[in-house]
Amino acid sequence: MIIVGAGVAGTAAALAARKSGVRTTVIDGGTGASTLSTGALDLVPWAEATAVALSIPHEARSVLDALGGFVLSDRAVRVLTTAGIVRPARGHDAALLDVTERASGQVGVVRCGRPGWDADALVRAWGRGYEPLDATVIRHADERSLPDADFAARHDDEERLGWLAERLREAIAASGRAFSALVLPPALGVERARADALSKRVGLPCGEAIGLPGGPSGLRFERARDRALASAGIDRVGTRVTAIQWERPSWQVYAEGRDTQQADAVVLAAGGLLGGGIEYAPSDAIPASVLPPRARPPLKLGIEAPLTLGSRGQPLETPGSLFGVPPESLASPFAIDALFDRAGVLVDQNGLATGAGRALFAAGELVADIPHTWLAALCSGARAGVAAAREAAQRGAEARSMA
Amino acid sequence: MPFAERALEADRVDAVVIGGGINGTGVARDLSLRGLRVALFERNDLAFGASGNSSGMIHGGVRYLSQAPKVTESSCRDSGYIQRTAPHLLFRIPFLMPLESGPKARILLELVDAYFRAYDDFQPLKRGKPHCRLDPHDLAKLEPGLVGATVGGVTFDEWGVDGARLCVLNAIDAIENGARVHLHTTVESIGKIGEDAGEGPDRYVVEGRHRLTQDRVRVRAHVVINATGAWSPITASLGGLPQARARVRPGKGIHVVLDRRVTNYGIVSEAIDGRQMFIFPWQNVSVIGTTDDDYFGDLDDVRATSEEVRYLVQGVARVFPSVREARAIGTYAGVRPTLYAYGKNEDALSREHEVVDHAADGAPGVYSMLGGKLASYRMFAQELCDRVLPADFDSSAACTTHTRPLPGGDRVPDAVGLATAHGITPVAARRLVYRHGERALRVLDRAVRSEGGLDVTCPCEPVLESEVRYAVREEMARTVDDVSRRTRLGLGACGGMRCAARCGQIVAQELELPPAEGHAMARDFLDRQARSRIVALGPEQARQEALAQAHVRASLGGSR
Repeated sequence: MIIVGAGVAGTAAALAARKSGVRTTVIDGGTGASTLSTGALDLVPWAEATAVALSIPHEARSVLDALGGFVLSDRAVRVLTTAGIVRPARGHDAALLDVTERASGQVGVVRCGRPGWDADALVRAWGRGYEPLDATVIRHADERSLPDADFAARHDDEERLGWLAERLREAIAASGRAFSALVLPPALGVERARADALSKRVGLPCGEAIGLPGGPSGLRFERARDRALASAGIDRVGTRVTAIQWERPSWQVYAEGRDTQQADAVVLAAGGLLGGGIEYAPSDAIPASVLPPRARPPLKLGIEAPLTLGSRGQPLETPGSLFGVPPESLASPFAIDALFDRAGVLVDQNGLATGAGRALFAAGELVADIPHTWLAALCSGARAGVAAAREAAQRGAEARSMA
Repeated sequence: MPFAERALEADRVDAVVIGGGINGTGVARDLSLRGLRVALFERNDLAFGASGNSSGMIHGGVRYLSQAPKVTESSCRDSGYIQRTAPHLLFRIPFLMPLESGPKARILLELVDAYFRAYDDFQPLKRGKPHCRLDPHDLAKLEPGLVGATVGGVTFDEWGVDGARLCVLNAIDAIENGARVHLHTTVESIGKIGEDAGEGPDRYVVEGRHRLTQDRVRVRAHVVINATGAWSPITASLGGLPQARARVRPGKGIHVVLDRRVTNYGIVSEAIDGRQMFIFPWQNVSVIGTTDDDYFGDLDDVRATSEEVRYLVQGVARVFPSVREARAIGTYAGVRPTLYAYGKNEDALSREHEVVDHAADGAPGVYSMLGGKLASYRMFAQELCDRVLPADFDSSAACTTHTRPLPGGDRVPDAVGLATAHGITPVAARRLVYRHGERALRVLDRAVRSEGGLDVTCPCEPVLESEVRYAVREEMARTVDDVSRRTRLGLGACGGMRCAARCGQIVAQELELPPAEGHAMARDFLDRQARSRIVALGPEQARQEALAQAHVRASLGGSR
């Protein structure tokens, strides 16, 4: 089978399929929403989260175990954002500090002299239980203004992490206070989360707050994925898939700069609007000095494939205007439950694409009507991976018996 | 009693100015410089309305050349004055006017050429360059993106300005000369003080309410000036005056902002209905403008619609088709207070101004400033003051606004030198000097004395943390929105994703507000900006929108 996309959904599909013994290849065209994720794992957007904890299926949990570096909880945990909010989540990147339950003592907010990290403002914003801690975190002058991810990469080095632990221990001793934990900016490693290693050396739980997209958390996901796919023996190809077509007896996958590949089953997990799997393509964006040449639905697939875009089970319609649908009606905050948040490939509960005929699956943000969250992508990827592997195995067996 | 002595009493002023746009701040400054004690009330923020949402040009009134060359002359002369008093704030925008081939195109080119030759006579008044006549080959060389057969065209020279900064500078100078400025304060009533109330020459009592704190302000004044632009009839009604006497025709104008300068020149184009429109480079972006439609909606919430955006893009795409592929990062909209005349179409209406003396309505000392434009604000203010001072204050104090530098306009410091001296990027220094002139030194002086002062808060523009704090402490910013108006924070390609939360944190810190208010104002700002972007949404921006939304959902909460 072939999986298109190596974000959370594509990775989950590949790892969930690994037990089936079906030969699996992942084709990946670059970064998307998963690389830009910031470390909180949600199933539904947290502002909309209900008290009822939705269950995470076991195949998704086992993917998370194989991936490593992420913590999933049955209860809601609480994590901190650099915007100054304490927010709930279902799980988190292992580098993040979970502040759900703390022993007595304040959480120390490490003053570190990096732009945008104002320990005093954060202490006030996060509320009771936080206190600034003066510590030396910058070792070289350039680190003041390095992007989060580059700064975090320096703590991949064992010696450097030890240096940081020593500085933090000194700082705690100098303060004469007892802290229950320390929170730092998103800086604890890129290769893997170094929060645990740091915590052991400091003798206190240490972790990051959630930062901006493009920070270390997304990169840690990529590293964890690379390790997990390699150890599962899954092939990786780095290129962009342009088209998928059924030609008896198999799916033909066309990619830039590669020979066409065949597969018994395909999982498309190329992302939504953010990842590039879906593109906003209003007809009035076609360069023209007169009228747009034709009316077309406002969204299209980034890959040519026999799939139907829509939402709530209905395919997208061609608008009644050459200029397309007014964008006000497509996107929040104008539109409630906006098409931009909902539209995607129409699939059944296993991710099997509606109307595609055979063994073509979609997963992650590419799918219609699923929340655009990390855990929703994981769950839909895992489900599609299992279902696709089953189909592929069956087809392989049929093909062999016919031969 | 001479007015200068009365001015010392706290709740009494000589003149209340209502409106913090360019007319209000301009007249408040002029009155203050002439020794009057002034209180200014503004319902929203400085430059909230048309003044902060115009094309951002100090143009020389070229359109009046054939009918009223005197207007062109005075506009050009005033443009020269503004350049002299705020040299840091003006930048040259050269325009191209291509002329499409057609049956009478050659004759038209001769006429246009002659027209601009006449305009050349006034250009020296504003340090403008004389026009050039271009053949089609020249046009293609200057702007390779232009399409369509032309017979040639002309260039002409205009000046750009940040209208919001211009208002802020006028307000600051007024304050430094004794004025009190009440922002976010709605005037709720303008009452007459009865004859028998006796002491003093105060004739009116103006009551306002602060919209954020709900604090009340009460001021007695001899003169009240209504400078509320499109809000003018509402303001007049508060004083019990007939609204029709302060009537304006509200003309909504929108602009689309592109993520970079996509042309080197402003390009004049024509819409389907024959209206002229432009795409022009403005500071670090390109702007497409503008529309002019009668507006009947809420003046506090004026927004572009996708209909208007498409009308503009279509008009420009005729001569510059690649504009359809450009990335729009926002829109802005304002309502012009055009003088009222029935039957004329919006463009034919003059943008000139008029002072209404409400003595005829039984309210001596109450004036409405109607109409006006950014380019002639100084003249308009002078006109009003020249009338009010002798009539109401028996004063002959002379106008100095054409010679006295606006704050920071004394000298324009060398940006590269400042960058080197303070270890900031030359771009950050250049933008800071643009906004603050010599006062950039004050901002930097604070920056070096405070921890994190030189940190970049908004990387797109860029804006330093100390400039954000300066906007709150010295320029009366109360919200993220206010900071953005003064510094252009959050108006770049990322739409505030990287700076709004931090800015809210700083504003809350400076004003000692609960942190949650900082979050709320950041969310408000992001929400408003998203609405301004989505009406112009194109394929490239759609991905950025998805990212911005995902980020806000992850770190600030709320639906945005």
